[in-house]
Amino acid sequence: MIRTTAVPRSLRVTAATASVAGLALLAGCAGQADAEQSAPGAAPETTTSPETDGSTGSTGSAGAAGGAYADGSYTAEGTYQTPEGPETITVTLTIASDAVTDVEVTGEPTRRESRQYQAEFIGGIDDLVVGKSLDEVEVDRVAGSSLTSGGFNAAVEEIRTDAAA
Amino acid sequence: MSAPTLASHRWEFDAIGTSWRVDSAAPLGDEDRAAVSSVVDRFDREWSRFRPDSLVRQIAAGGSVAAPPDAAAMLGLYDALDRATGGSVNPLVGDALARRGYDATYSLLDRGAEPAPGDWRDLIQAADGALTLRGPATIDVGAVGKGRLVDLVLAALRSRVMGWLVVDASGDLAVDGVAQRVALEHPYDARRAIGVWTLAAGALCASATNRRAWGAGLHHVLDARTGQPVREYAATWAVAADAMTADAVATALFFEGGPRFAAAREASWVRMRTDGSVEWSPHCEAELFV
Repeated sequence: MIRTTAVPRSLRVTAATASVAGLALLAGCAGQADAEQSAPGAAPETTTSPETDGSTGSTGSAGAAGGAYADGSYTAEGTYQTPEGPETITVTLTIASDAVTDVEVTGEPTRRESRQYQAEFIGGIDDLVVGKSLDEVEVDRVAGSSLTSGGFNAAVEEIRTDAAA
Repeated sequence: MSAPTLASHRWEFDAIGTSWRVDSAAPLGDEDRAAVSSVVDRFDREWSRFRPDSLVRQIAAGGSVAAPPDAAAMLGLYDALDRATGGSVNPLVGDALARRGYDATYSLLDRGAEPAPGDWRDLIQAADGALTLRGPATIDVGAVGKGRLVDLVLAALRSRVMGWLVVDASGDLAVDGVAQRVALEHPYDARRAIGVWTLAAGALCASATNRRAWGAGLHHVLDARTGQPVREYAATWAVAADAMTADAVATALFFEGGPRFAAAREASWVRMRTDGSVEWSPHCEAELFV
């Protein structure tokens, strides 16, 4: 079991802390740079920042999303099948004012078969991907969930127009 | 997200409950469009559980009809999906979806979780030119159907027009003869992309739980074993040789066994967990903003 308790800090900065979860999930994944960077002991030190960063929410991406992260605890349970039965890991993030205040990871894939599965079928993992604004990327089309009507492009255009006004 | 300028022709239409867009080097004539409409209408009449006159609705109480031409291919893929996911993907999940509110009238009224029949192979039979249901059940080909139709539309046009083609059914698309840069839409913020996948051939299918969603965490991807919506993954993207395969892989990736299924079908993929982390396949060619 890994337990990390951190002081409030911005979501973006704390992303490295959350990668402890990614590390535990993919402990057996060879050649995964992010997992190597964020060994459990190293993550808290490398991500420490002044508390004011968290309370001002000044780190752009998460804040600009318009309160995408409501305060509270978020728990995700990951389960996958192994020849010996399901492996489970639980990650709980506590978020207050767009800052991660606590990360708890329970369970680790310890069976050799799980490590083999991850190395063979999963190429890598990265934590808390914020992405880029569609304004910043030049693409021909967008793929996400199916639109339930044809209004998506119009909505995107409206948002961009509003943002530019 | 302005597209690279490329002399092209575009045709947009709505079908099977979503928006479609066909881009092509050559203009599509009336007969080309009629050929596509014919393919789409036939598929919808056969497989839609949202229209009362469809074949799957006709046999929902049990019964037999002449097997549609896509029955064997799609049910065969469901067999593989079921095995790969330990029963989480099942072609008789229609009633379980309807009970959660995703029904023919879009009631969106949740009447509780109900597993799909685990013995679906005993209930459905596609043999000797007939599609038979041995008891009441509703076929839902949501895991593979849209991809299959994308393949059918591309094939119909390929035989009729010259030059490159892109068939995009809003999340599921197939390309032939042209490179396309496809943004991977962030499931929690449609104004953002978590990456870009450049595709010169084959198909990319996306699935996410954010749009076809309603009430109390309900959305259209159910675990057939329980009738509960999946909670571990928020979005999946898969690239494969054809759209039906990519569609199936995108669905499988919501469940245990998905990555192994993808490897067996030579598909690459990306998926986002509900905690915001992103996983990808070995040899994944997507450019991810991580």
